[in-house]
Amino acid sequence: MLVQILFYAFATVLMGSALGVILSRNPVHSALYLVLAFFTSAALWLLIEAEFLAIVLVLVYVGAVMVLFLFVVMMLDINVEEVRKGFTRHAWLGWLTVLALVAEIVGVVAVKQLGIDVTKAAVPVAADHSNTAELGKVLYTTYVYPFELAAVVLLVAIVAAIVLTMRKRQGLKLQDVGAQVATRREDRVRLVKMQAERRE
Amino acid sequence: MITLQHMMVISGLLFALSVAGIFINRRNVILLLMCIELLLLSANFNFVAFSRWLGNIDGQVFVFFILTVAAAESAIGLAILVVLFRKRRSIDVEDLATLKG
Amino acid sequence: MTETSFAQFLPALPEIYLVGAICALLMFDVFFGLKKPTRTASVALLLLLGGAVATLISADFGHRQVLFSGMYIADDLATLLKLASFLFVAIALFYSGEFLGRRKLQQGEYYVLVFTALLGVLVLTSAGSLLMVYIGVELLSLSLYALVAFDRENGVAAEAAMKYFVLGAIASGIMLYGMSLLYGLSGTLSLAGLATAFSGPNSLGLILGLAFLVVAVAFKFGAVPFHMWVPDVYQGAPTSVSLLVASVPKIASFAVAYRLLAEGLGEVSGTWTQMLSVLAVLSLLFGNLIAIAQTNLRRMLAYSAISNVGFILLGFVTGTGDGYEAALYFTLVYVMVVLGTFGAILLASREGFEADEIADYKGLSSRDPSLAFMVAVLMFSTAGIPPFVGFWAKLRIIESLVNVGHLWLSIIAVVMSVIGAFYYLRIVWVMYFDPPGDLPRGQPRLALRFVLGLNAAAALGLGLFPDVLLNVCQTVLHRG
Repeated sequence: MLVQILFYAFATVLMGSALGVILSRNPVHSALYLVLAFFTSAALWLLIEAEFLAIVLVLVYVGAVMVLFLFVVMMLDINVEEVRKGFTRHAWLGWLTVLALVAEIVGVVAVKQLGIDVTKAAVPVAADHSNTAELGKVLYTTYVYPFELAAVVLLVAIVAAIVLTMRKRQGLKLQDVGAQVATRREDRVRLVKMQAERRE
Repeated sequence: MITLQHMMVISGLLFALSVAGIFINRRNVILLLMCIELLLLSANFNFVAFSRWLGNIDGQVFVFFILTVAAAESAIGLAILVVLFRKRRSIDVEDLATLKG
Repeated sequence: MTETSFAQFLPALPEIYLVGAICALLMFDVFFGLKKPTRTASVALLLLLGGAVATLISADFGHRQVLFSGMYIADDLATLLKLASFLFVAIALFYSGEFLGRRKLQQGEYYVLVFTALLGVLVLTSAGSLLMVYIGVELLSLSLYALVAFDRENGVAAEAAMKYFVLGAIASGIMLYGMSLLYGLSGTLSLAGLATAFSGPNSLGLILGLAFLVVAVAFKFGAVPFHMWVPDVYQGAPTSVSLLVASVPKIASFAVAYRLLAEGLGEVSGTWTQMLSVLAVLSLLFGNLIAIAQTNLRRMLAYSAISNVGFILLGFVTGTGDGYEAALYFTLVYVMVVLGTFGAILLASREGFEADEIADYKGLSSRDPSLAFMVAVLMFSTAGIPPFVGFWAKLRIIESLVNVGHLWLSIIAVVMSVIGAFYYLRIVWVMYFDPPGDLPRGQPRLALRFVLGLNAAAALGLGLFPDVLLNVCQTVLHRG
């Protein structure tokens, strides 16, 4: 019973925050709603015992991706008044799509034409079962090939982000660390031999 | 009791909302990117739920990879957005009309 | 537990080699390339040729091997597509060398991103699981998004990249949703598992999942109505990147369609062939009709690409090995010819004069006769005029359609390729019969001219002996 109450509570918050993401006119508010959506999703995943991914969702999405989003939103200095002017002329098309999709999903799920039984509860896992260990076991054995390729995907992101956004602005004063380290004593210190002066 | 149906309805609604968001917010690129994140979240919901109900870990591994790749994807998307903003001073999609025909 | 040895991973040598090459290229650029960027360019070309050799060494002709718990399939089709990808990317880089130098884009990162895009193509050619399809698609698309935006001083390129990115990311999301439904229905991610999972009447969930996957594949191909990004990217991106986007990713799209739809979901082909036939007809119709109205050559080529994708999809619509073979033949031929066409644009351009508009080719025959001749050959081939290779490619597709009784589709295909011939021939007309005005004369650039000549000669040679490549395609798909 408690699980069910929690489920409905989180699900309601999730839907509300998803609506908030798409409806609010201020991108910062949207980003914060998205953070809330990710938090509640993580809670729902915890409820169905997918603990590892729930934690990763919070760490990766909320901790990294959303911070990046907020950073860019604030850096770009978007004219909120301009954006506020309202939705596009295609808004009705959007709502039409929603109606169609919702109808479709209800048709699929409720009419149970999906092809699998959707009305059972999941088989509960043992109390000492570790979701993380189970994932870890396959990640480095069965899934080693995609795992290595995921590393290359991250490399692409690094290279692309740096090459697209890092630039040397004219007149920008920066330290050249390489030059600093490469200096030798002879370049900087000049020893001058001179006669000690005598106080008259 | 939470059934698979519950999870699928959530994922379906998230999917519908994100597609609606893509149509509604065609003016604002950064909101489009956020709607895409919602879209991925809805697919993730399906994978996690199916994986749990089928008693088969593959779906959760897939989500692990989706999270990794999506992080890379949003980094590149935001980088392109920054480049665009530097040239145009605008993120309004309707200003992106130099190319047409 | 079986003994793990490196020999066991030999079939995956092309990918392993390429990942090593990416790291090596990054390092080389830092230590030797920053002062002289042309060095990195040459090393990149050498590494690509090495990749072709590695593919040949690791190939085990006539056998199908499955590695990494079913994630990786090494068969003749994969070998052929990998070999073609290595060679085509090498040619593309060779064509774009001068352009990159002139536009100050010749940075090591450019080549690294081209290599990672190529890695995505390789992953897709041997994808054995939904997961590998996803990772391959993302590896390819993420690299391409960044490459389209690579010229940071060019606002148009950034605009094209943004459109490409947003639409591409939406397509990926939709693909994932479709994959999740298929996974839920079958309980497996492996394509071999999917092939046996679905039998009996189609459930609604399966149809929904398939529809999402078809949308994603159509987007990656650039088929109508998911083609919005194609013209913008072809026109807005730096020419060297348009060349890349127009060529090798088509091989990847073919690989995705084949591995995912034909191999993995072959049991339910009735459902997706219907969806594909609608997309194919729309692509043929819109691609050809809109192309007529274009004045920008690159934009015209984009619509031409859309119509050609319609042909490739028609090959899949047959749902038979015969049709897939025709689609493979068409894809390889199309990519080869389109490389030549963009190569010609690059050869006609110079400092301060990008030959992007069709009007820039007026009287090319008197300004640069050999280039005009090569362009004419390539245009004849794309238009599907015998004896050039494009004719045989279209003929094979139409043949395979007639064989399975799709008479209407083949009539549409014939009519549309006749209409399409008009705008290709218009280019030839402009080159040979319009006065040159005060447009600049051609430049020698002998190396580029020579390779372009070989490219055009291949379009003619393969047309005179069509069986050579056809037999290869046949062997690879049927007896592989």
